[in-house]
Amino acid sequence: MTEASLRIRGLTKSFGGVLALDGVDLTVPMGQVHALLGHNGAGKSTLIKCLGGAYPPDSGTIEVGGRSYERLSPRESITAGVAIIFQTLSVVDALTVSENIFLGQEWTRYGRIDRRAQEKVAAGLLERVAATCSPRDRVGELPMGQRQLVEIAKALSRSASVLVLDEPTAALSTAESDALAERVEDLRTQGLAIVYVTHLLAEVERLADAVTVLRDGRIAHQSVGAGQRRRDLVAAIAGRTADGETEAGGGPVGDRRATNLPDADRPAGDRPDGNRPVGDRPVEDGPVGAASPGATDTTPRVTTSPATPVARGVGSPGGGLVLEGLRGPGFGPVTLAVAGGERVGLYGLIGSGRTRILETLYGRRRASGGTVRVGDRTVAAARPGDALAAGIALVPADRRRQGLFPTLSAHDNALLPAVRPLSRYGVRALGAERRVFEALAGAVGLRPARPRLPAASFSGGNQQKLVLGRWINHTRDLRVLLLDEPTQGVDVGARQEIYRVVRSLAADRGTAVLFASSDPEEIVTLADRCLVVAGGRVVGELSGAELTEEALLSAVHEASETSASCETSAPTETSDLSKASAPSGAADVSETPPAHEPSAPAEGAV
Amino acid sequence: MTTADSVLVRPRALAAGGLGTVRRHPLIVVLAVMVLVFQVSTGSFLDPANLRGIATDAATLAIVAVPLALLVISGYLDLSVGSTLALGGLVAGWLAGQGQSPVVAVLGGLAAGAAVGAVNGVLCCYFGLSAFIVTLGMLTAVRGLAQQLFPLPLSGFGSGFAWLGGSRIAGIAAPVVIAGVVLVAGALFLAFTPAGRHVFAIGVNREAAYLSGISIRRTPFALFVVTGVAAALAGAIKASVLDSTVAGTSGAGFELTVLTAVLLGGVALTGGSGSVLGVLLGVLFLGSLQNGLTLLDVPTFWQQMAQGSALVAGAALAHFAPRAGR
Repeated sequence: MTEASLRIRGLTKSFGGVLALDGVDLTVPMGQVHALLGHNGAGKSTLIKCLGGAYPPDSGTIEVGGRSYERLSPRESITAGVAIIFQTLSVVDALTVSENIFLGQEWTRYGRIDRRAQEKVAAGLLERVAATCSPRDRVGELPMGQRQLVEIAKALSRSASVLVLDEPTAALSTAESDALAERVEDLRTQGLAIVYVTHLLAEVERLADAVTVLRDGRIAHQSVGAGQRRRDLVAAIAGRTADGETEAGGGPVGDRRATNLPDADRPAGDRPDGNRPVGDRPVEDGPVGAASPGATDTTPRVTTSPATPVARGVGSPGGGLVLEGLRGPGFGPVTLAVAGGERVGLYGLIGSGRTRILETLYGRRRASGGTVRVGDRTVAAARPGDALAAGIALVPADRRRQGLFPTLSAHDNALLPAVRPLSRYGVRALGAERRVFEALAGAVGLRPARPRLPAASFSGGNQQKLVLGRWINHTRDLRVLLLDEPTQGVDVGARQEIYRVVRSLAADRGTAVLFASSDPEEIVTLADRCLVVAGGRVVGELSGAELTEEALLSAVHEASETSASCETSAPTETSDLSKASAPSGAADVSETPPAHEPSAPAEGAV
Repeated sequence: MTTADSVLVRPRALAAGGLGTVRRHPLIVVLAVMVLVFQVSTGSFLDPANLRGIATDAATLAIVAVPLALLVISGYLDLSVGSTLALGGLVAGWLAGQGQSPVVAVLGGLAAGAAVGAVNGVLCCYFGLSAFIVTLGMLTAVRGLAQQLFPLPLSGFGSGFAWLGGSRIAGIAAPVVIAGVVLVAGALFLAFTPAGRHVFAIGVNREAAYLSGISIRRTPFALFVVTGVAAALAGAIKASVLDSTVAGTSGAGFELTVLTAVLLGGVALTGGSGSVLGVLLGVLFLGSLQNGLTLLDVPTFWQQMAQGSALVAGAALAHFAPRAGR
């Protein structure tokens, strides 16, 4: 146990022909904090899930706790000493701290749980992670930071030797993040091997002894020892954007390999099907707010070359979206404008309020103040139906919970909102429906374009195309398209197609596009202009040549340091959705997740 | 699978049958085997008179099972139909006994059923209470109300009212004709109306349906009302057939029989899947089973055991059967 605590060799994993991990090597010795960086979809979470036993790798070995495994079961992973702290914590709110720590490994005495002994040991563990809560506190009443420490304490109680932290500070306030960093340093001196997944370069600079950057499932950069230059890391993360719009120049790119990208990844502008970069990057907007000052000194000036800077407001001039002082629980006031045909990104971390802004616009949450205008009409959406009537549509972030009907056919999924508008005298117009489906399947590049196939049988990318396709079927006057993390869980090829569809919606139909993303690459690829969101407010704006991944990473880093109001929206947004203005629950629908394995029969289950 | 990829053929396949239908509804095979066994062992199971008897018995079941199935597909449930059936029959019978015209009497009964359904619907769809709890409570409450309103058995509803249960339309008993209409209407609703699609969408994923701009309350509410009306209609038919009805026992246990038929027919209790053809099969299966076992002089409690075991066996089959059939 003197050398490597964790050694991964040649780990490869593919999903439906798409390589998520391609021969990844990763060695983490005892007492090392190893930062794992990369974009969404770069393979970080696949790596973690292979390590935790959620996915069996296709090939490669995982060596942990002195034993080598071809694949791990979740239980083997725990016994081998791996502990993974996910962003969405797996503590049970209703139980106390010590009950959580000993969940599944309770100490018993004469058949009864030995509460006293547990609490004593728990107190020791909590002290080790410098948690301030008591073993008897109910976890549900603790702030996020403390809950996280409880989970780390739980890992320690299982004598974990490898600790994986998945974006641990994403839902924490600044003070909590600092405290966590100290804990990580403590645990390092206690000899744990720590894999630290993050988007924030400042955390890497502070904590990491070694860095691995993943890109498209491969290692784009790997280095040991402090003093990694930020520009190198950013270049490695960014690599060559598949879109070709951004050339991440400047610093030496870690490993800019010319991967054999499929046809779909060719520069979108070169494609014959018309993605004229209309309204690309209006540059007349100067930098606003906190975003730029830091951006300039820490990052190299990157040459971004928009094809033709066109003034904002192309497309239908009056058709845009205007928010004035929009407020709601956890965010606001937010004032912004998106012209018809313009694509604006909302960049921010989880908990920054970007999802709330979009959901409030869509009538999913109630606004407490401010006005929303589409064109010259004021829209007060109390429910999604109102927003849709005003021409506002949303592609939600959580596809499985909020977007998809897994057991229903592709046809039903894509046409659901259109069935009634198309119908005549209360009877479905099946012929028209079929034509609309064929048109939209072609427009989004659905594969396979089989209307009767259940949505669950499609890949994540094609599922997203179905959800997106729902709003582009020409039966509605789509004035404003909102997208929340439009390519989460979407493979690289489908991602490009989704970008293409969104671009052509803006360019050809003058739709105002407002999308939220935590992926800087996505923002740079898709947005004409980007608003940086932190603590429920717009804290900066980047456009034109300033809109680079480096600038975004710096901006959000500064925003999270300066904005103490982050705490107000600290709990992860997606988890408290159901409690918000959720449609009042029925029977037990919410408790039974829709059967979503492809094998679940659509009919015939008793 | 040459034409099966088109949504257009779904209703056609439903009508025409075909191997795919059998595969989706293994109950067809079970039903056929059971009919064969009963015919061989009794020699009289397939007599027209007996089949007519089965159809008449199964008719009231089908009338309630179809709207209940729609409700279950949309993710809800109605356990109160047994008591609603009793109340509907009592109100209709009482009005007929008071000398009202049969039409007014039946409409009165249906109105009572609609009222019960509306209460269920408001509480479950608009207030968001658990359908299981609400309708379980209503099962008891409506039974109590019926007994309070009609403490004594009612009988002698007059020849006009007897028409509902006893007359024949083109040689077919009126309840069977009504059941046929309900079945066809249910199938058409699911396949050919926008609301029919919404029922599935709401049952599969309410949140996603809501975010798609669908009114997720109105359709299930309407289904609650329709289910109440259907239960009351079944009650009126039963009262008409028997020319009497008793508040305490009419329709007792009916809710579970209907639910059994619905679930046997392949409607998932979790919502989001099911078909009217399946419901028809479930109803016929229960009707045939009961009839056949009665012909064989099997005691009632054995019949009940058979019925219950069939449901569990069906569930086990669906759970463990290889999922190759699609």
